[in-house]
Amino acid sequence: MTSGPLSDFHGEGSVFAAWALRRAGVMLWLTSGMAVSAIVLLIGMLGLLCWLAFAGDAFGAAAGHFPGALAVLSQGEPPYTAEALFSAIVGTITVTLLMSLLVDPLGILVAVYLHVYARQHWYTDLVRIAIHNLAGVPSIIYGVFGLGFFVYWVGGGIDELFFSDSLPRATFGTPGILWAAITLALLTLPTVIVSIEEGLLRLPASLREGSFALGATRFETVVGVLLPATMTSVVTGVILAVARATGEVAPLMLVGVVKYAPSLPVSIEAPFIHLEQKFMHLGYLVYDLTLHAPAGNGRVALIAVVALSLVLVTMSLTTFAAVLRGRFRYQYAQEGLL
Amino acid sequence: MQGRQHISAQFAAELDGIRSAVMEMGGKVERQIMLASEGLESRDSGPAEEAIAIDRDINRMEVEIDEQCALILARRQPAAGDLRLIISIIKLTTDLERIGDEASRVARLVIKLASAGGADPIYLHTAKVARHVSSMLREALDAFARMSVSAAVRVVLSDKEIDEDYRNGLSKLTSAMQQRPEQVEKLLDHMWALRSLERIGDHATNIAEQVVYLTRGVDIRHLGNERLENLLD
Amino acid sequence: MNHPDMETFNAFIEASKASKTKRRQAPSLQVEDVSLSYPAEPNALQNISLEIPSGCVTAVIGPSGCGKSTLLRCFNRMNDTIDGCRYSGSIFLDGANILSDGIDVTSLRRKVGMVFQRPNPFPKSVFDNVAYGPRLAGIRSQRQLDEIVENALRSAALWDEVKDRLDAMAGNLSLGQQQRLVIARAIAVEPEVLLLDEPASSLDPISTLKIEELIYELKSDYTIVIVTHNMQQAGRVSDYTAFMSGGRLIEFDATDRIFTNPSERATEDYITGRVG
Repeated sequence: MTSGPLSDFHGEGSVFAAWALRRAGVMLWLTSGMAVSAIVLLIGMLGLLCWLAFAGDAFGAAAGHFPGALAVLSQGEPPYTAEALFSAIVGTITVTLLMSLLVDPLGILVAVYLHVYARQHWYTDLVRIAIHNLAGVPSIIYGVFGLGFFVYWVGGGIDELFFSDSLPRATFGTPGILWAAITLALLTLPTVIVSIEEGLLRLPASLREGSFALGATRFETVVGVLLPATMTSVVTGVILAVARATGEVAPLMLVGVVKYAPSLPVSIEAPFIHLEQKFMHLGYLVYDLTLHAPAGNGRVALIAVVALSLVLVTMSLTTFAAVLRGRFRYQYAQEGLL
Repeated sequence: MQGRQHISAQFAAELDGIRSAVMEMGGKVERQIMLASEGLESRDSGPAEEAIAIDRDINRMEVEIDEQCALILARRQPAAGDLRLIISIIKLTTDLERIGDEASRVARLVIKLASAGGADPIYLHTAKVARHVSSMLREALDAFARMSVSAAVRVVLSDKEIDEDYRNGLSKLTSAMQQRPEQVEKLLDHMWALRSLERIGDHATNIAEQVVYLTRGVDIRHLGNERLENLLD
Repeated sequence: MNHPDMETFNAFIEASKASKTKRRQAPSLQVEDVSLSYPAEPNALQNISLEIPSGCVTAVIGPSGCGKSTLLRCFNRMNDTIDGCRYSGSIFLDGANILSDGIDVTSLRRKVGMVFQRPNPFPKSVFDNVAYGPRLAGIRSQRQLDEIVENALRSAALWDEVKDRLDAMAGNLSLGQQQRLVIARAIAVEPEVLLLDEPASSLDPISTLKIEELIYELKSDYTIVIVTHNMQQAGRVSDYTAFMSGGRLIEFDATDRIFTNPSERATEDYITGRVG
């Protein structure tokens, strides 16, 4: 062939264009450009928040500076105090951790049942479709469900059985951190289930067969071989759950978050965690500040500070989980298993 | 026996190739014996010399065929029937080459006897034995070509008759030697010729025994004619 | 010249063949009229009957899809994991019918171990892989486990290569080593029967020979059934060979006989590489 790459293109425009695209490395520019933009956006947003929180006059009267925010925090009335902020941070972290504790085992159980125990029939596929659809249900619906089912029905029942002497003052029959955690867990459960099942599906069938061939029951195989091999997908599911949960404010408003809670849900006195208490949440605080904060200097700064705290809390939780996942990845790194 | 097609056409071709080579070698050996027999009948040294010339070809073919068998064993790892075929062919070439040597020996004796001159019914008798042995070889080779057990067994049994011919010839020769002691040398040459022909018969029997091994996988060598006879009569 | 009586001659030939058949040892596994079907393959096994002798290596050969792996998986009930699998007939191991409903499948699988075609070590350390089976059986003492693991690895001719890195991840071993590890894992539970499903087909020639040598050493302690599509391997390694085709057992005999003079035309055709 005595011709170069152009010789086959007898004026066919689209083919030439495709070739030109490839030669010019357009895809490379496109993809790296997108990545850079995303990072720039992220940094920009955080930067804006920081600037709003700490910088000097910018928006005239509405803007504030850090001294202003501090002033509001130290002199204001609850809930606009530094302790309130601290309480919100603790509340956010507590409810997220509680949710992880609940969603993790539940997600594993459902995913393992679907993948290992259930006979693969059209109705198991139906269950899977239902789970996938649940991930798309608006979160406020979960709030309503949580309120109606858990708070009133289950909580009311618990009150009648165990705390009847306190009635009519409800102990568990009222929004609290426990119901909030359960609601969030239900909200993020589909995501976790999907993630774990994907991880299980990626495991080669030979792993399962090898365990069976040694005389293991299905349960022993799941616990001894399958779950350790998909730990990365379990943690991924939790990361996704945490990331989503810290951002959902609407359902929480129905099931346990208040504008101001006098005491922390965790304390040094037994039983260390008070599941029936209402708590504060950074997301709700942002909402509340935006609508009801006292006018004046430092208001925007205060909002920015709270928003920044929320972002930092979310990022630290997910980063911690990601680091944990990285350790699992290293431990179980094997061909074709990730 | 192998009615179906080999998946490897090259392997099939290789097997066909050595079978044809064996048949060709056998044909040449048969011709050698026929020429020697002609020489005996006509007391002419011409055919006998031709018979000796063929021997070079036969030796060359033995080496070639054996080499080809070694290659097939190394490269194809034949099993079952194919393996028995290769093993049998390796043994067959030895027998054929020995037959060729014996035929050459007879031919050389013919040349010697021809120069001595003189008609003699002894010649005719020896020629008849030669023809007998030649047809035995032809039948053995035919059994190989057709993979026929019955033909092979017939050949094995007919060795008896060759042995009888040999004994008859010997006794005739000994009495002739007693009657005509001046011709002892010539008569002794006849005896050697007869002996060679008897040996050819043994080799032809070997070939037939190999055919039985090749087709049925059972070794009937050294069973003894009696035992076989008892089986078959 | 008389025409030989071929009938008597043929009878003689058959008799001499029969006298050469090896005396068989006591059968370890007795398969009686086993048939099996599953949705994708309704005639996977059809009326299979044979006796696997103990303390020997039996090879199962045959064209693709003839049911050899399916038959192998009957011996440890691994076919149960296939949805919609149905079977009939019996297989007797030590006098008990392992295909019956009352059998405890997990303890059967400890008596009948299996090694698969592609090495499938767990994503755990070498030690944990071999100790998996014993731990399932309830052995907790570290000293006992150490001993069991070492013995198993020695029997699998792998000890010298891994004794200094028992904690290394199994996935870091070479394929040949992984397959020997999997064999050690199967031996660690002290089975009676070892089922090998094309154990060397994904290995290089040297590793293959090492595995074959290992099989030779193991056969004095276990009954071994090996499925292989490599005929030369069957010839090298086995004492008895079963030839299957289309879900049926065509011929079962000593390997010596099958490879020099099989009785069935179909066997001969397969072994010499001929198709109809």
